[in-house]
Amino acid sequence: MPLIATMPLWPLVAYFGVVVVMVAGILALSWVLGQRRRDRQTGQPYESGMVSTGSARGPLSAEFYLIAMFFVIFDLEAVFLFAYAIAYDRLGWAGYVEMLIFVGVLAAALGYLWKVGALDWGTSRYGKGRLPTSAAGGGDSTRGKS
Amino acid sequence: MSWNWTMADAQALLPLMVVSAAAVVVLLVLACCRRAGVAGILPAGETPATRIGAVLTVIALAAALALLPVAGAAAPRSVTFLVIVDGYGLFFAGLLLSACIAVALLGHSYFRQETSAGGEFYVLLLLAAAGAMTLVFSRHFASFFLGLEILSVSLYALAAYNRASLAGLEAGVKYLVLAASSASFLLLGMAFVYAKTGTMDLGRLAQLLNAAPQPALVTVGLLLIMVGVGFKLALVPFHLWTADVYQGAPAAVTAFIATVSKGAMFALLMRYLVGVNFTLQYPLLAVLTAVAVGSMFVGNLLALRQENVKRLLAYSSIAQLGYLLVTLLAAGPGGRELAIRAAGGFLAAYFIATLGAFGVVSLLSSPQREAESFDDYRGLAWRHPVLAGVLAAMLLSLAGIPLTVGFIGKFYVLAAGVNANLAALVAAMVINSGIGLYYYLRLAIALFTPSRAEPPPRVAIHPAGAAVLAVLTVLLVAVGVYPQPLLRLLAAVVAL
Repeated sequence: MPLIATMPLWPLVAYFGVVVVMVAGILALSWVLGQRRRDRQTGQPYESGMVSTGSARGPLSAEFYLIAMFFVIFDLEAVFLFAYAIAYDRLGWAGYVEMLIFVGVLAAALGYLWKVGALDWGTSRYGKGRLPTSAAGGGDSTRGKS
Repeated sequence: MSWNWTMADAQALLPLMVVSAAAVVVLLVLACCRRAGVAGILPAGETPATRIGAVLTVIALAAALALLPVAGAAAPRSVTFLVIVDGYGLFFAGLLLSACIAVALLGHSYFRQETSAGGEFYVLLLLAAAGAMTLVFSRHFASFFLGLEILSVSLYALAAYNRASLAGLEAGVKYLVLAASSASFLLLGMAFVYAKTGTMDLGRLAQLLNAAPQPALVTVGLLLIMVGVGFKLALVPFHLWTADVYQGAPAAVTAFIATVSKGAMFALLMRYLVGVNFTLQYPLLAVLTAVAVGSMFVGNLLALRQENVKRLLAYSSIAQLGYLLVTLLAAGPGGRELAIRAAGGFLAAYFIATLGAFGVVSLLSSPQREAESFDDYRGLAWRHPVLAGVLAAMLLSLAGIPLTVGFIGKFYVLAAGVNANLAALVAAMVINSGIGLYYYLRLAIALFTPSRAEPPPRVAIHPAGAAVLAVLTVLLVAVGVYPQPLLRLLAAVVAL
C-alpha cells in the first residue's frame, strides 16, 4: 500500500508522453523524408534480389511444430522446479511430497505422449500420415497396428 | 509458509484429490489401451479406449460424490490459506459432480459411433471438474485463478473437440481468445485490489468491503475482476462468445459450459459477495444491477426469433444467469441466508433443466451432425415421443411453470428479491419471465407440430444418455412437486 501511495505519478505520465511523441516523430519523419513511388515491383516481397515464385502456402511438416510445443511445455514446467529449489528448506517434507506429485504428473504426461506416438519422428512405425492427429486426440490410424 | 498436513486436511480434500488423480489415471489407461485394445472383451463398434475412459470417469466422479459426506465430517476447515472446505462448498461441489457425471454419460452417448475420438474427452472433463471444484473451495486470489485456468484450459480443448467441423474449431478459438483476454482483465483487477488493500484473501476482502466505502483503485480492481467473472458467467456486456461457442461445441460440452463452468464461478462469486453491504459499495451495486437487468433483457430478446436450438438455449442461459444475479443483490447484511438458499435452489433447478435440454440435443446429435435447427425438432413428438416429452418438460421448467423444479427456483429468487425491496429488479424479472415464455413455448409447440420438411435421419438412442434423461426428468418433476428435501438440504448447507 505505501508503495503506491508515496510514489509520484508524474514520471509515469512524462514517460508516456515521451513514448507517444517519439513514436509519432518516427512515423512523421519517415513519412516526410521517405520517398513514395508506385512502380511495378514496389508491392513485391523482397527476396534478396530474387524474383519470388509460387505461393507461400505450401504444406509443411507439423512435426517441428509439435516438438517445439512439447519443448516449451516441459521447459515451462521445469521452471517450477527452480522455484521449489529456492524454497526447499522452508517447505520441508510436505513440499517434497508435493514436488514428487508434480513430477509424477509430468512423467505421466510424457508417458502418454510417448505411447500415442507423438514423439515419433520421420517415417513412422505405424504407417504414414499419423501425425499430428494421434497426438491431439485422434489416434485413429495408430490403432491400425496390433 | 510451511504447514503441516494433518489427516483432517487430507480428509477434507479427499473428493478433490480423487478427481485430480482420476484424470492422470485415465490418461495413462488411455495411452495403454489405445494401441493394445481389449477387443474381444468389449463389444465391437465402440472404441475400447472410449468405453474404458467413460467407465473410469463415471466411477471416479461417483466416488468423489460419495466422499463428500466424509469430507463434510471434517468441515468447515481451511486447508492452507488457499482452500476452504465447508458446507456451502460441499453442496456446490456435489451439484457440480452430479452434473459432471451426467455430462460424461451424455458425452459417451454422443461419441458412440466416433471411432477416432480417443477418450481424451474424459481426461479433459475430469480436469475441468477438478478446476470447478477448486473454484468452489477457493478462498484466495491464487486458488481462484488456478481453478479458473484449469477449468478454462480444459474447456478450450473440449469446445474444439470436433476438430473436423469448422464450427467446432471456431468455437474453440473464440473461447480461447476471449477467455484469455478476460483472464488478463481479472489479473489486473486482482493486482489493483492487492496493491491497495494488501490482501489476497477473499474472506478478508469481503470484510473490508463490508466495513467502509473503498478507494477508487479497489473499486476499479473489483470491476475488472467482474469482467473476468462476467465472461465466465456470460453476463451481458461479456456475452458475445456464448451463442457461437454453444453452437460449435459438441452438445455434451455445451451442457458442461452452461452448467458446471457457470455454476462453479457463481458459487465463488456468491460466497464472498453475498451479505456484503452494497450501500457502502455503490459503484459495484450499480454495475451488478445493470448487468443483471441487461442480461435478462438481452438474453431473452435475442432468443425470441432464434431458429437454432443451441443458440436459443445459449441466449436463454444468459437470461437465467441474469435472474440468478438478483439473489446476490438481494442478500444485503441481513438476507445472507435466504439469498444462499435462493441461489442454491435456482442453480439446482437450472442445472437439471439445462442438462436435460442439452441432453436431448446431444442424444439427437452425433459428431457428424448436430441436431440444432428447428426443423430437426419439428414433429419430434411422432419420431421420438419420449424425447419430445422430456425436452418439453425441461423447457417448461426453464420457463418456470409450476409443478417443475424451475418454478421452485424462480419462486425462491423472487421471494429473495421482494424480501430485499428490489422493486426494479423484481419487475424486470417478471417482465422477462413473460418474454421467456414465448420462445420456450415456441420450441415446445414446434415439437408437437407435424413437420412439412423431410424428417432428419433417425438416430438410435444410447442407453447411457437415456438413463441420464430419465433421472433428470424424475428429479424435475419430483422436486417440483415435493421440494421439501431440497429445501431441507439447502437449510442445512447454510447452517454448516
